Amino acid sequence: MMETIEKYLGKLLAQGLVDSKGDALLFSMDDTIYSSSNEVPHLVQYLFSVLNVTSIIVARPSKLYLEVIRELKRVYPGRITPNDSESTTFIHDIPVLGAMDDNSVAAALKRRKGCIAPDGSIITTGAITLEQAFVTFSSICFALFVKYFSDVLNSSVGSARDEDRKCAYIEPSPTILSMMKPPGPIKRPAFIVPTSENEVMYTIVDTGKATVKSGLVDSFFGNISYTWDAYMYISQTAAALDELEGLIDKVALDGSSTNDITSSSEMGSHLKIHKMTMDRAILHGHPKFSVIMSMYGGDMKFGEKRYLEDIPIVCGRVGGGKKGLVHVLPSAMKESHSAIVYGHGTFASARDSFLDAFERMLNIEIKCFDMYRELVSI
Amino acid sequence: MLYTVGDFGKYKVNDMRSYALNCLFVDLNSRTASLENIPEDISFKFLGGRGIATYLLSMNPGLQANEPETPLIFSIGPLTGSHLPSSGRMNISSFSPLTGTITSSSVGGNLCIQMRRAGLDVIHITGRSRKRLVVSIRDNKVTFEETDLRDDVPLGEVFLKLRSRGAVAAVGRAAFHGCLFSSIMVDGTYAAGRGGLGLVMASKNLVALTVMGNKRLGVVDRRLEAVAAEDIQRLFDASPSIMGVSGIHRYGTACLVDLMASRRMMPTANFRKTFFEQYRAFSAHQISSSAKASHLGCYACPIRCKLKGEGGRELPEFETISHFGALNENSDLASIIEANHVCNDAGMDTITAASTIACLAEIRGEKYTGNVLVDMVRTMASGQGLGEILQLGSRRLAEDMGEPDASMSVKSMEIPAYDPRGAYGMALGYCTSTRGACHLRAYPISHEILRRPVATDRFSFQGKARIIKIAEDTNAAIDSIGACKFAFFGASMEEYAIGMKAVTGLEIEPQDLVRTGDRIFTLERYINCIRGFGKDHDCLPDRFFKEPGTSGPGLDIHPINKSLFEEALARYYNIRGCTKDGVPTMQRLKELELA
Repeated sequence: MMETIEKYLGKLLAQGLVDSKGDALLFSMDDTIYSSSNEVPHLVQYLFSVLNVTSIIVARPSKLYLEVIRELKRVYPGRITPNDSESTTFIHDIPVLGAMDDNSVAAALKRRKGCIAPDGSIITTGAITLEQAFVTFSSICFALFVKYFSDVLNSSVGSARDEDRKCAYIEPSPTILSMMKPPGPIKRPAFIVPTSENEVMYTIVDTGKATVKSGLVDSFFGNISYTWDAYMYISQTAAALDELEGLIDKVALDGSSTNDITSSSEMGSHLKIHKMTMDRAILHGHPKFSVIMSMYGGDMKFGEKRYLEDIPIVCGRVGGGKKGLVHVLPSAMKESHSAIVYGHGTFASARDSFLDAFERMLNIEIKCFDMYRELVSI
Repeated sequence: MLYTVGDFGKYKVNDMRSYALNCLFVDLNSRTASLENIPEDISFKFLGGRGIATYLLSMNPGLQANEPETPLIFSIGPLTGSHLPSSGRMNISSFSPLTGTITSSSVGGNLCIQMRRAGLDVIHITGRSRKRLVVSIRDNKVTFEETDLRDDVPLGEVFLKLRSRGAVAAVGRAAFHGCLFSSIMVDGTYAAGRGGLGLVMASKNLVALTVMGNKRLGVVDRRLEAVAAEDIQRLFDASPSIMGVSGIHRYGTACLVDLMASRRMMPTANFRKTFFEQYRAFSAHQISSSAKASHLGCYACPIRCKLKGEGGRELPEFETISHFGALNENSDLASIIEANHVCNDAGMDTITAASTIACLAEIRGEKYTGNVLVDMVRTMASGQGLGEILQLGSRRLAEDMGEPDASMSVKSMEIPAYDPRGAYGMALGYCTSTRGACHLRAYPISHEILRRPVATDRFSFQGKARIIKIAEDTNAAIDSIGACKFAFFGASMEEYAIGMKAVTGLEIEPQDLVRTGDRIFTLERYINCIRGFGKDHDCLPDRFFKEPGTSGPGLDIHPINKSLFEEALARYYNIRGCTKDGVPTMQRLKELELA
């Protein structure tokens, strides 16, 4: 238990979700409570007694997120409803507490997996593992970031649109804007073109780590595949991009095995992209400004397509189903080997090397970041 | 011959604003029926489905399965009949002749929808008719009809004969021949399979129950219901095991065959091995292509997990495939399909049937495959000759043959097709389940294998005690609201709680539902303790602690460490609020408003 607590404390720090280890308290419970600190606060003991959960994180997010929360709380008292599709699907909304007493926190967490405390701290729970509480924490930070910057963008480009989108008017905060950094690494990661199954596995693992390390995406948002011989090698569902060792499914292209029921939710799209483009390397992540800018220009409906300069934007749901991405994304990828999914994230592919796919994803994010700055006149 | 017609009075469908469940009490001795409202506080505390049945069975917890006074309870959930995805489920409950425990089985089909339309949340049947009966409910009328259906009539014919009366639940020849694991079949395809509920129904001389109604479900907030339905559908779409390329939506539960083989946890040769080399003979791909499968599904369910082959014959589900296949070292797909059909047509639980045959094969040092296997199943259903002992299940068979260790069962119920050496949460869950070895009470396969909603280490007991306890509570709630457990490979209580609010108007949060599940599960455990069950019964067969499974490339399948298992079980008791002997404490019962 303590090893797991240390692991996720480290990840909170490494991904910039908290500024220091002292800002986060992590707890896991089987029949006793394990804690990242020497004490278990009364609130946490109470929450474990009234909630059927195995883990709790209480953490003060890093300064950027804290500022974002402060701004959003001001305009959305009581509840913040994310606008990106991943958060809409998995989080729904985030309760904002007016008071920090036991009952208020418990009431919020009886309804949702995470909430925001009056001081801007984020409290999350996991029903099964601490990883869930971490993923929810990370997801809330992502959702709030996208919500804030989208609202600021909408506020900057005209009030008529605000009403259409039912978002609040938010003045850009100089403190937050001063913390905006251009995306991507200065030094590009080195990727190889694999020539054996072992190298395929190694390359996928390495690419996942490098993509997260670059800061382009958060670890729990995305998936990756490489097609070699008669198989697609693809990251498993609920696998962190920077921890893919042993979590890659080998999927027969002829559909003769059903082992892929543990594969990424987007496997159908990966297969079809490969079929249509013959690209072997496919990378998907959620670079934040690509997501934000995909929503600029108004709502989209399933099947619609538009462009942000030359970047196709398509609209479809995560995974399969009648409105699934699989029906709209592959044809857009055929056009330009990259596309943004409305309110969701970017797909990029390349014939042989993940480096080209990574570059495409990075360039889109840089372009979106620059466009954003221009639009809000930073 | 129509014997008695009972009119149980005018009433309206519960509009859910007042949460008092409608219960039709049917007495087969007097051939009368009366409708009563279950008080609102009780209804709210147990929700419906499995929950309200558990409460009703707790009124007289010492009854034996074959006593006339023993209730056989058909109960739907508050969401049954709504537009929420995968909410067309109900439960059938009683005391099990196979295990001696309380038992309850979730079942799909049209019966739950017709009960909703007839305005009935619960049908509570007691007594024993002098002659075999068909009980038919049409709106607010009950008909008791003596029938001359013979013992050996295939269930297919019974359903054909009665289908004009709406939805049908019926028992087949296996039940009338005394099979301890006979099932109740609904609409010919859906089985309340485990634990011998069919024998309870047959012991009442009740051949079939039919229900037809024409009322509409009152939903408090249709707009919110649509929001919840949309949220749930999004999560289904995002779940690879539900709507993925090879998910249940496409291949039914047969999609698990390849995965269980590759994870080296496919029970083979009566659990002496965990890998069957010829598993591809009955893979989902093979079944789907050779049997030209098409889909069937429950009301309002987009998953449509049931498959039927040419001519409309139902195709087996994963556990059936694996146990008539690997467990019996049988690679003949046609015989697996036929064995499944014989079980369904006679009304027998396929898991126990297949496992009992595998047990006999081990004791005799033989293999029963192909047509021999099918003949064995037919003999079992007949209750004649060897069938007389086979129909008692593997525990009694193995004891009778002087080889008690050959029965792969917990509390006399045979272990399903997930080898516990390959998933330690499953190992614990088999033992703590309140109806014997059941994969569905805690369903840890979701996170130990399918990585939903997150993955856990399948070879570790770390954290599993609390995980299993919470999952048992959650699944008790799922069974009580009328939802399907497959839905929770994608969605969660968060979305279904909003659905509850929409349908019933009740201010109920996801954690409230899980706590209600805790109340239901703890009551089940307490009832079992009253019936003589305790810590000694919460254990796996010795094989799993002594013999390794079949290892594969980079994957060793070790025996389960018994002391680690026992430590996890002790933690589980502590978390569940039980004594060291596994009995719920009075304090815990009071906390859950059970005492």
